Amino acid sequence: MIGVEITAGEWLLVCLAGALLGLDGIAWPQAMWSRPVAAGTIGGLLFGAPAHGFLAGAWLEIVASRHPPFGAARYPETGPAALLAGSAYALSEAASLGALIAAVLVGWAVGWIGMHSIAWLRTVNSRLVADAASLPGGPGEVVGRHRTALRLDALRGAALCGALFIPSLLAVRLAETFRPDQLGTRPAAALAAIGLAGLAGCGARALGTRRDRWGPVVMGIAAGLLLAWLVA
Amino acid sequence: MKPRRADLASALLRSFAIQASWNYHTMIGGGMAFVMAPLLARIHAGDPVALREAMERHAAEFNAHPYLATIAVGALARAEHEGAPAETLGRFRTALSVPLGALGDQGVWAGWRPFCVLSAVIAFLVGLGPVAAATGFLVVYNLGHVLVRAWGLRLGWDEGLAIGGSLRSGRLQTLARSLIPVNLALTAVASVLLIARIPAGAPGPWICGLAAGIGMTGYLVPRRVTPFAMAALFLSLAAWAL
Repeated sequence: MIGVEITAGEWLLVCLAGALLGLDGIAWPQAMWSRPVAAGTIGGLLFGAPAHGFLAGAWLEIVASRHPPFGAARYPETGPAALLAGSAYALSEAASLGALIAAVLVGWAVGWIGMHSIAWLRTVNSRLVADAASLPGGPGEVVGRHRTALRLDALRGAALCGALFIPSLLAVRLAETFRPDQLGTRPAAALAAIGLAGLAGCGARALGTRRDRWGPVVMGIAAGLLLAWLVA
Repeated sequence: MKPRRADLASALLRSFAIQASWNYHTMIGGGMAFVMAPLLARIHAGDPVALREAMERHAAEFNAHPYLATIAVGALARAEHEGAPAETLGRFRTALSVPLGALGDQGVWAGWRPFCVLSAVIAFLVGLGPVAAATGFLVVYNLGHVLVRAWGLRLGWDEGLAIGGSLRSGRLQTLARSLIPVNLALTAVASVLLIARIPAGAPGPWICGLAAGIGMTGYLVPRRVTPFAMAALFLSLAAWAL
């Protein structure tokens, strides 16, 4: 049994948050509440566990860092992705490693689905505004159609989160039904650490740096080990 | 007629939605016309034909970083106000697109944003509350964000067609580049702390050493390591389930 109880009000809240997070990514106002750390925390807050939401968001931040939004590049849409990952991890019973990795992978998949929905909306926008300046409505037509595009993007974000919220929860709950013993968790933790470290290295390079500037990376690893030892 | 302060404020507010109608034909062209509409309405007040032509000009294909596009908005509005010929405006628009895009990508997407995000992640992992860390990130990041938009509009309006000199001065690029090594170090710190906080318990020293090696390999040959690292995450879930 992997069921989870969600009220219609909670589902609507997720849709509303999805609209605002979907908008922020590109259309308005790009204040970065769509970044995984913020969107994941919002997802966690909705279900009473902001720390779980933040942690899932932080992992997604590293996973998504390989795809910076340079130029007109295609990259995973992080807002709805982290909202659903953060919500799903917050609603998991034991907040285990399996649930965290499942939430991150769910977020990664939602991010790419979101990217495809953005690409689709951009083709709609082409028809909507490309020739608006020369339409009979004149200058006001451009402004009106631009506002319509804004509303469509909000609808897109809400629909994406509304459609994928329950499947995301179920996927993470399914991962939680497996409870390996202490010995069984070690390979999973080792593979997760290797995956995260590899993606962090790829993400660091995507910041537009040169291959030979690895000095700060080594210093960062040393500083991270020192901090981890101090915090432990 | 010269735009009033309220028109510039209206353009600044509209600039937050400059990418709303992003599309593969005109990119942020529609957004540029949307943002410039209050300025153009004042500049061409009483001349509907000139206003229509100006809107058509600025709704044409254009792309730039969304924050730094305010530089183009200000500079183009100033050039419109000074009666620059349509041909000059078209060439000027095209010339602005690439440097504003490159500068924004380097300064904001690869500089300021990762710096703020990674600082928030590290603050959370060393003990700051999740809401405080996320709120702190949003406040600090947006101080820079709003400042850049407002400064860009002002700079563009002050410089007009001479804006190229300011963009070529190199001060902005130097500032943007200075954050890159800091962000590299912050990425490494955040990853180490995340690994140390793995819910099942941090892996032993051999696995941590291997992870560090793979992280460095990812930095050197990212295209080869990305699929391998994603596969490791999927395998991690499979190992958990099996």
